[in-house]
Amino acid sequence: MMSSISHYLNRFKDCLHIDQTIKDGVAEELYTHLEDKTQELEENGLSREEASKIAVQSLGSPELIAQQIYETHAQGSWKEALFSALPHFLVALLFTSYYWQNIVYVSIILALTVGIAIYGWHRGKPIWLFPWLGYYLMPVVITGILLLSLPQGWGWIAALIYIPLALFVFIYIVRQTARRDWLYASLMLAPMLVTFSWFSSLGTGNELLASDWIARLQTNALGIVISFIALAGATIAFIRLKPRRHKIISLLIPPLVILLSVTMASRGNINSWGWLILLFSLFAFAIPVWMQARAYQ
Amino acid sequence: MNYGRELLKGNTDSLLLCLIRRQPTYGYQIVKELEKRSNGYFQFKEGTLYPALHRLERDNLINGKWQILPNGQQRRYYYITERGQQVLANRLATWQDFSTAVTAVIQTETTSG
Repeated sequence: MMSSISHYLNRFKDCLHIDQTIKDGVAEELYTHLEDKTQELEENGLSREEASKIAVQSLGSPELIAQQIYETHAQGSWKEALFSALPHFLVALLFTSYYWQNIVYVSIILALTVGIAIYGWHRGKPIWLFPWLGYYLMPVVITGILLLSLPQGWGWIAALIYIPLALFVFIYIVRQTARRDWLYASLMLAPMLVTFSWFSSLGTGNELLASDWIARLQTNALGIVISFIALAGATIAFIRLKPRRHKIISLLIPPLVILLSVTMASRGNINSWGWLILLFSLFAFAIPVWMQARAYQ
Repeated sequence: MNYGRELLKGNTDSLLLCLIRRQPTYGYQIVKELEKRSNGYFQFKEGTLYPALHRLERDNLINGKWQILPNGQQRRYYYITERGQQVLANRLATWQDFSTAVTAVIQTETTSG
């Protein structure tokens, strides 16, 4: 049978969504506190079971301690908040002019993103990493979609070799991130939501390749810039806000801005495949937030 | 809310910094010391201690280090930082001024009453 102390610590760990190392450290600290108190009460003549029950009661609600510890560790500094929003600002900057069509600028930003994402991943996954990671994953997914749009033969190669590999990388990174915190998974997937939402307004496959999609994308540049700036604003708010429910609300604002911008820019003229991608992106982004909201109830 | 509890809440950081400045210490010992030094006046809610310690550590006022005891048990000892000492000195000076002013007002009231 599980002891009162183990049960208490499990409850504490279940509702604390912070870096695993910090979480284990605080749990260990609480454990030594409970052991000290139990030992002292045992010396006063109580049984081990009674003593550990009283020790647990004196420490108070594990959920409340977890919430207070979360609020201490979940709030990033302004520096971290701005660094997290930087990739969104850089992409917005690309679209404020024709820079996004310039292979040199795009390559520099891509290399920077990949380098920073790999650095952050191997340096304990700090809070600023996740938006960068989202952009790191983007080429992986977009390449798969583009391969599927290629003439027959290439599509098969994509389906057999590239897509399983890309899916493996994608699922692995999303799982690792969600294990830390579901909300970080949403934060990470947010750039994909913007990109796919805007691509969905252009059509897919032959329709996309045949059309002058570059010119159409440039026409919608203002809407795209607004979407990425909304994302940057939400990211800053997410990092700076302390209470978890406020973080959830901050994550729900960009999808609304993006959906509105895409629908207005395309005047509702999105084909069924486009709507499917749009809804899929919205769901992928919203599911972690929704799961977290449910856990609250 | 209870006035005494509110006062304690507003001064928790200073009390913790004071105890940690005296000697590096750990969570459970802090609770016991506070109770002992205040003759049982400060019945510190044990669960609120750790969030407070982590907040002080985040603000770079204290520094926590794991130490292995001879019996193999691990404890996290907290040390005051240089910044912590400065902040504590400022707070104690403010508290001293505040306390002197409050006492002066209270004494005047008592004498005139």
